[in-house]
Amino acid sequence: MPERPILVVDDDPTILATVSEVLDMEGFAVVTATNGAEALAAVDHAVPSLVLLDMRMPVLDGWGFMRAIRERGLTLTVVVMTAAADARRWGREIGAEGVLAKPFDIDELVRAVQHWRPHGTGET
Amino acid sequence: MTGLDQLQYLSWLLYLFVFVAVLARTIRRPTPAHLDMTLFFGAIAILIVLSTVTAKLHVAPPPWVTALTGAAALSLGYLLLRLVRDFSDVPTLAMRATEVGLVVSVVGISFWPTPLPPTFALLLVAYMVAVIAYATLAFARLAARMPGVTRRRMQAAAAGSLCLTLALVVAGLGVGFSDFAGLWEELSAAVGLASGVCYFVAFAPPTWLRHAWQEPELRAFLAGAGSLSRLPDLRSIVHELERGAASALGAPAASIALWDPDTRRLHGYYPPTDPDVAAEQPDGEHVKDGENGEDGAWELDPAAHPVSALGFVNQRPTLVTDLLQMDPANAALFKKYNARTLISAPITASTRRVGLLLVYAPRAPVFANSDLELVQLLADQAAVILQSRALVNEAAHVAAREEAARLKEDFLSSAAHDLKTPLTGIVTQAQLLLRRHERDPAAPADAVGLNRLVEQSQRLRNLVVGLLDVSRLEHPGLVGARAEADLRTLVQEAVSHAALSGGKRVKLEVPPQPVLAEVDVQRFEQVLTNLVENALKYSPHDSRVIVRVWQADAEARLSVQDRGIGVPVEDQPLVFERFHRARNVDDRRFAGMGLGLYIARGIVEQHGGRIWLDSTPGAGSTFFVALPAVAPGSAETNAIEGMQVASA
Repeated sequence: MPERPILVVDDDPTILATVSEVLDMEGFAVVTATNGAEALAAVDHAVPSLVLLDMRMPVLDGWGFMRAIRERGLTLTVVVMTAAADARRWGREIGAEGVLAKPFDIDELVRAVQHWRPHGTGET
Repeated sequence: MTGLDQLQYLSWLLYLFVFVAVLARTIRRPTPAHLDMTLFFGAIAILIVLSTVTAKLHVAPPPWVTALTGAAALSLGYLLLRLVRDFSDVPTLAMRATEVGLVVSVVGISFWPTPLPPTFALLLVAYMVAVIAYATLAFARLAARMPGVTRRRMQAAAAGSLCLTLALVVAGLGVGFSDFAGLWEELSAAVGLASGVCYFVAFAPPTWLRHAWQEPELRAFLAGAGSLSRLPDLRSIVHELERGAASALGAPAASIALWDPDTRRLHGYYPPTDPDVAAEQPDGEHVKDGENGEDGAWELDPAAHPVSALGFVNQRPTLVTDLLQMDPANAALFKKYNARTLISAPITASTRRVGLLLVYAPRAPVFANSDLELVQLLADQAAVILQSRALVNEAAHVAAREEAARLKEDFLSSAAHDLKTPLTGIVTQAQLLLRRHERDPAAPADAVGLNRLVEQSQRLRNLVVGLLDVSRLEHPGLVGARAEADLRTLVQEAVSHAALSGGKRVKLEVPPQPVLAEVDVQRFEQVLTNLVENALKYSPHDSRVIVRVWQADAEARLSVQDRGIGVPVEDQPLVFERFHRARNVDDRRFAGMGLGLYIARGIVEQHGGRIWLDSTPGAGSTFFVALPAVAPGSAETNAIEGMQVASA
């Protein structure tokens, strides 16, 4: 059974690239999306083990993405990844497991992923 | 007693009653106007008493009685003219002519043997008719000009004078056509009674009648007063209150002055210039700016103008009947506005002094003592309205302060968000590079990662510089020392800068002669670079960007035109606002902070210039900048002077 990937969603291409490269280096399977709509398509393709979700994005934002996920009857483990001052409140609002406030460094990123990613679903 | 007799007695009684009433009032308050009224009705009383007594005694009256009766009758016209003069101006020539006519006719009837020759008698009647008809017209003109209760009084005076003229004409006809003596007498008695009633209500209106006449205007004022505080600005509210007060009082003008406790002055506004009213002014002078220069405003120092501000100083309504006499220092001002008499009442909300209501009239008899209460009532009403306006203003101020605080909070949180995003990229990318290097020191450099690091650092730098500019924009210090510069040169430089990043698709259109303006070159280049880079950023890579420079009247102008995505109509007024980006901007394609145009506007405005745009969504945008131009030629002159200095 193939490993369930981590889905990284952010509209900033640099953040998207560095985060996915860090996770890749740590041995995680990663898929990326630049907005909520692309993220939904990725979820439909393969249900991720964890979602790192930016909130303010064009086309479909974090709130819209979570609404669509609930409508599909899916339950995902989500970590909100935002630069906003309201990070914790937003996390509670959408029912996220955790919050990763920008700017973060890669150790925090890796620790967060290891902490919130459900165990036994991937690492070979 | 016949019906005719009853009518006659009734009118006589009425005249005698009015005489007693005005006499009593004159004794109480001896003003020139009251004296004139007493003289007028006194002459009529003498006429009535003497002729009644003579008729009752059935004897030929002694010559002095005849002479006195004649003199009383002849003086009526003159006395009526004096009453006209109490309400408005009468040309001196008309006054003198009437006086001469009076003397001549009294002398005539005293020394001419009776009966008078018909020609002379007819001349006397003609003289009387002319004078009284003149008075009738004067009252009618006043009635047309004055508002409210004074209009009604003047109408009554005009009607009374018309009746008196008719009575004289009838009497004249009675002399000429004595066949119908009964008819003439009947007519004469009827119009006599009518004129008595009219004069009574005109010159000595009882208080209840005055109040009844004031009521419609007062009602209209109070009915409209409730909505006054919703008028857009204080000036309109004040003008409506002034108009209402003037019409309720039957006075031609009223002013409201508002108290400024800081300057310790009362501030008022002149009414908006009305060409009709201006034409009515005796010297034809238009009412315009005040002593202080601010358009249409005047101020009053209660310490320097104690008479005008009496109501304010005493904090109770006050009537000043002769301003020219009481305050000769300001006589010229009072004459200019045709104000001889004034009621002033304090506008005071509970204990707070709000201002002063002044109601002016050209003549004292326009007002009665009972008007003091009315003016105070209006002033109290004005206090309520102005106070509620002040509360509305205060609420608006609080709302504006809250809005400013909210905007600041929004600004800070947006700024923090925008700073954190590139910062995240830099931190993670740098750590990633380091970690890779630690794991495999021999691996080749990650050019893509390094490039990202540089890009994000630049983005952060631009953002920090922009935010610093924004914070300095709040103060006038962003734009430094200015020097005369040729916009053609500045544009050339900005384009060559931009060309490095945007290719060679910028076209320059400049005139052959210099276009000069005084600019802080570094800051102005920032504006130009921003506009050109925006144009390149938001338009297709193969389309042209045209930059033009030209001189328009007193402005040096430039424009930057692109064939790009354009700005949606609803965003156009907002593009120069802080952190505003048009909704058709895709954040991923156009990395931007939404600060550039805001800063550009700040810089242009601190140069005393304007910036605006003309845009069609989908077809492109043209941004315009206009700066105050330096007169063409002055640079050349300087250059020539410089050369002379150099060669000397």
